[in-house]
Amino acid sequence: MTFTSLDWIIVIAYLILSVAIGMIGRKYVGSVAHYLVAGRELGVFVGIATLAATEIGTITFMYNAELGYRYGFAPFVVALISGLVMVIIGRTGFVITRFRAMKLMTVPEFFERKYSLGLRLFTGVLVALGGILNMGVFLKIEGEFLTVISGIDAKYLVTVMTIILLLEMLYTVVGGMVSIVITDFLQYVLLSTATILVSIFAVHHAGWHNILAKVTATMGDKGFSPIANPKFGLTFIIWQILLWFSIHTCWQTTAMRMFSTKDPETSKKVMTWTGFIYLGRGMLPMLWGIAALATLGTGNSQDGVPMPVLNGHVLQPIDAMPAMLGSILGPGIKGIVVAGMLAATMSVNSSYLLGWSSVISQDIIMPARQVLRKVPLSSRSQILVNRLANLFVGLFLMFWGLYYTPPGAVYLYLNVTGTIFLAGAFVCVIGGLYWKRANVTGGYLAMFLGAVGVIVPFFFLHWNENVTGFTAFALAAFGLVFGSLLGSPSENIIAESEMP
Amino acid sequence: MNYWMMFWTGALVIAGCSFAVITAIVSVFGYRDLMQMFRRLTAQGGKENE
Repeated sequence: MTFTSLDWIIVIAYLILSVAIGMIGRKYVGSVAHYLVAGRELGVFVGIATLAATEIGTITFMYNAELGYRYGFAPFVVALISGLVMVIIGRTGFVITRFRAMKLMTVPEFFERKYSLGLRLFTGVLVALGGILNMGVFLKIEGEFLTVISGIDAKYLVTVMTIILLLEMLYTVVGGMVSIVITDFLQYVLLSTATILVSIFAVHHAGWHNILAKVTATMGDKGFSPIANPKFGLTFIIWQILLWFSIHTCWQTTAMRMFSTKDPETSKKVMTWTGFIYLGRGMLPMLWGIAALATLGTGNSQDGVPMPVLNGHVLQPIDAMPAMLGSILGPGIKGIVVAGMLAATMSVNSSYLLGWSSVISQDIIMPARQVLRKVPLSSRSQILVNRLANLFVGLFLMFWGLYYTPPGAVYLYLNVTGTIFLAGAFVCVIGGLYWKRANVTGGYLAMFLGAVGVIVPFFFLHWNENVTGFTAFALAAFGLVFGSLLGSPSENIIAESEMP
Repeated sequence: MNYWMMFWTGALVIAGCSFAVITAIVSVFGYRDLMQMFRRLTAQGGKENE
């Protein structure tokens, strides 16, 4: 065990505080709009905190550190793209201001407004499928981080995963978005403090010159240039630009923050400033991974990179970062860092639980009831359905996380599963908002080809991630244009009053 | 290689500084936003909205 009593006290105190604060949200939930979009009352600063906390989790630290360990500085291009694209969207209001003006609660809801109820249902299924599969690996990797850094025996991994899930479900189920916003604020402050602390410790411990020398010695030019590195290259960069535009506009958990802001102008400010945080969100953990390579990368070479070794044990590259932190952080600091990482874990998972369960309830169950001509549910009943969907997603995550191990780098697995619905959804949203000719036929084709364009090449033809992602976006765009030109223009015109 | 090394070093410094400064600002002003949100939600009460 590398955890001291002081570390345990800090972590347990944080957990009690976090859940207690999260429970406060319950008293503010009076309607489904309170539950899903916090009554649309988010200001700029708390908006930044909740958006950043939602998209910075232990999973983010782990996959970014893994990228840094495996590929050096070259993947910094991913962080740069994600941050710059966010700033561009924030400055221009591209998609997000129109979404906010339409007072949506979920992304697939847009598909009913612009296209049809059937397409909303179809999109809802794809969004829920891609989103839940995407989140399916979170718990296991987060559990791995916590067991490795704290020195808990690996046999307790399942117990750690269960405890994390139960704690975050406790306040998400009862308080919805209001509880999440409150806890996100606390969690953002704590996880950011931990991020800064770890970055200082990692560079101090490994030494900046050693870091540069190790990357140069093991990877050469490929460790710095994303163009020269065969894992990345120009196709990867174009795919990442498209992907990050689609994530920042159509990813359910990010979009929910935009829907929750006070007005469209607030959503632009939140997006712009969070863009700068995104630079650090990617680059800092990648730096930790490179520091782990410099300190622990002494094993046999695999794919051109030495495997991490700690106390004679050979580890996987993804476990190098927590292993390094476990060995360099002192008592007290380690407790703060683990509490920070737990904060990151809980803020991400609670938001994702709410995000995907809201799609199940609002975009699958509700439209299905409409198709079956059943009486619409009251706001209270909708909240109950949301809570049940939340429980279902939680249980699924537990079992999927235990039985599935993603192949290759986790970041790329997450990108590919996200693209299952993002390629079609992004194309349909752009077409729906900015092209009058876009219609239902084009929408169906785009969603179908976008999903097939990922599933077939990646899972059956075993193409690499770059080409797969690129193909999915190209097929989705082709589907929308081809289908729209074949059919008659859409009858669902978005009212001028819904445009900012 | 030197060009990329310098570029990423500069990007890392900007990223780290932005991260720290925005965190400090959000920590202070985010609390105020949160209190305002509570007041508005209380005023909205249990109304069915939007």
